[in-house]
Amino acid sequence: MSFLEAIRVALGSILANKLRSFLTLLGTIISICAIIAVISVINGLNLYVEESVSNLGKGVFVISKFGIEHDRETFLKAIRRNPDLRLEDGEAIDKACDLTDEVGVEVHSNARIKRGSHFLDGVDVGGVTQNILDIEPFELDQGRNFTRSELLGNAHSVFLGADVVTELFPSVDCLGKKVTVDGQLFTVIGTAKKRGSVFGMSRDNFVKIPITTHEKMFGRRRSVNISVKARDEVDIDEVVDQARVVLRSRHHLRYDEDDDFGVVTSDGINNLWKSLTAALFAIATFVVSISLVVSGIVIMNIMLVAVIERTREIGVRKAVGATDADIRRQFLVESVILSCLGGFLGLIFAFGVSTLIAAATPLPARFPMWAPALAFVICTAVGIFFGVHPARKAAGMDPIEALRAE
Amino acid sequence: MSQANGEVIRLRGLRKIYQMGSQEVRALDGVDLTLHRGEYIAVMGPSGSGKSTLMNLIGCLDTPTEGDYHLNGTLVSELSEDDLARIRNREIGFVFQTFNLLPRLTAARNVELPLVYAGMSLDEREERAAEALAQVELSDRSHHKPNELSGGQRQRVAIARALVTRPSILLADEPTGNLDSRTSEEIIALLDSLNQAGNTIVLVTHEPDIARHARRVITLRDGKVISDEAQTPPSTAQLAKSTS
Repeated sequence: MSFLEAIRVALGSILANKLRSFLTLLGTIISICAIIAVISVINGLNLYVEESVSNLGKGVFVISKFGIEHDRETFLKAIRRNPDLRLEDGEAIDKACDLTDEVGVEVHSNARIKRGSHFLDGVDVGGVTQNILDIEPFELDQGRNFTRSELLGNAHSVFLGADVVTELFPSVDCLGKKVTVDGQLFTVIGTAKKRGSVFGMSRDNFVKIPITTHEKMFGRRRSVNISVKARDEVDIDEVVDQARVVLRSRHHLRYDEDDDFGVVTSDGINNLWKSLTAALFAIATFVVSISLVVSGIVIMNIMLVAVIERTREIGVRKAVGATDADIRRQFLVESVILSCLGGFLGLIFAFGVSTLIAAATPLPARFPMWAPALAFVICTAVGIFFGVHPARKAAGMDPIEALRAE
Repeated sequence: MSQANGEVIRLRGLRKIYQMGSQEVRALDGVDLTLHRGEYIAVMGPSGSGKSTLMNLIGCLDTPTEGDYHLNGTLVSELSEDDLARIRNREIGFVFQTFNLLPRLTAARNVELPLVYAGMSLDEREERAAEALAQVELSDRSHHKPNELSGGQRQRVAIARALVTRPSILLADEPTGNLDSRTSEEIIALLDSLNQAGNTIVLVTHEPDIARHARRVITLRDGKVISDEAQTPPSTAQLAKSTS
């Protein structure tokens, strides 16, 4: 009997018992739906992190007091040991490294931003060198960046994030208007385009002021972040090394001592994130495998019932010339098709679920295009594994006994 | 494959012994038979005489404990399971008392079944099945399922299925056992005409009326052949009268 013929026979018997087949497949449907939905969420999160969270800009890395610490010990050590970074550290890197394109420095604090009776609390106030707006992925919406003289002259100029604009200037043009930052008056010189939110947290709730002005207002006792942009066509790792050498010598570190500062690259953030989601994925896979085994057993059970029910059919088929291999193939194909049908339905549900999650929750679920292939492989494996025993049983039947069955 | 003398089946010293607990049951106890092409044979005997065992052995559904079975010159008593399946497929046509049609398939699909295992293409299968159904005069019922057919029609579909591979021998095990007497006559008339057309038929029955149609009657008792007689069946003219 050809493979095609076996598929036709299998479909015939599955469709002859629609409700039973569906109930049998419920386990498979739910398992496949669950694993694909989890994969969709993780996939969505990964892409999201790649695109939004860790996107420092092309060829950009950030040096800060603390890096991405993977364990508590090193983090506690870093708190004790790492000195604050200063504006001068950034200037030194800029001077000493020939592979850098731009070196910017930014320091953060929080303050109330006010215009007339409108105000916003807890806005991130970034004290920046003027090139930060070129390094970080901001897009200028209106106005302009800081000038060098504003930076040197402690100018009270301010650059606004999109949220601040919407809140304080709901209907009027903001350029040239005054706002107060922590009680001091500033002139708006430009605004950034909306960047959206990450995990429900807005990335537009900020203002930028010159770093010199920031120092005057908030003091110098804050560690700065140094953003470095590598020159085009230069390997970012080489630039990182150059910058590290400069900082290590400024911090008088011996050759066998660890860095006392952190370097954050897009890859670093992605790797940390992926190690987190890999753990999540492993747990989800484990749980789903258990339910897949259960649903495989359900399929085996119903196949054993089908073999008993169709004892007579097996006898007839053998009498007219079916070999043991023919019978075995027929039942094996049936259990694989049954299982794959479950996988297919599960996939459809998973597609719906991930679309729903993406629409209804802040989780950015995205259905991966390779999910169908994965589901197909899993279901074929389950179908074969749990179909072998019933198929063997069917093939091993004595035709005379089988023909005599009621 | 066929022998020059038209010998289809040769059984020599055939024994089938079942072990029922500590007891040994000799279902067949040394059967010697030679069946020729074109013969029409009735096998008779009380229940437990070994009729069914003989049919199963001839039909290659079972293998003898002892003795030789030659089918068209091939010693089949020593073949593997797969080879036996191939012989059942190509050389043997079974007709059962309970029809044994697959309920989910149409008449045509049921008739095609042996051809599926012969590895024939769908087109060829359909053509051959239509031919076989025409032979049993059921062309107009080919798309009906067994539960939409009468008992006699079902048995005719089963006969078409047995014929479709053009087997060397047609084995009918109590083919009229589940039919009323008028339908039985129809089926027997069909078998008669198939024999006239050249098919070799072995018919197992316990009804003398049915056995009367055969040209040779073999009687079994306790696993042994106790009589093997030629007889003159009723003429075709008579048969035509009785069925019309």
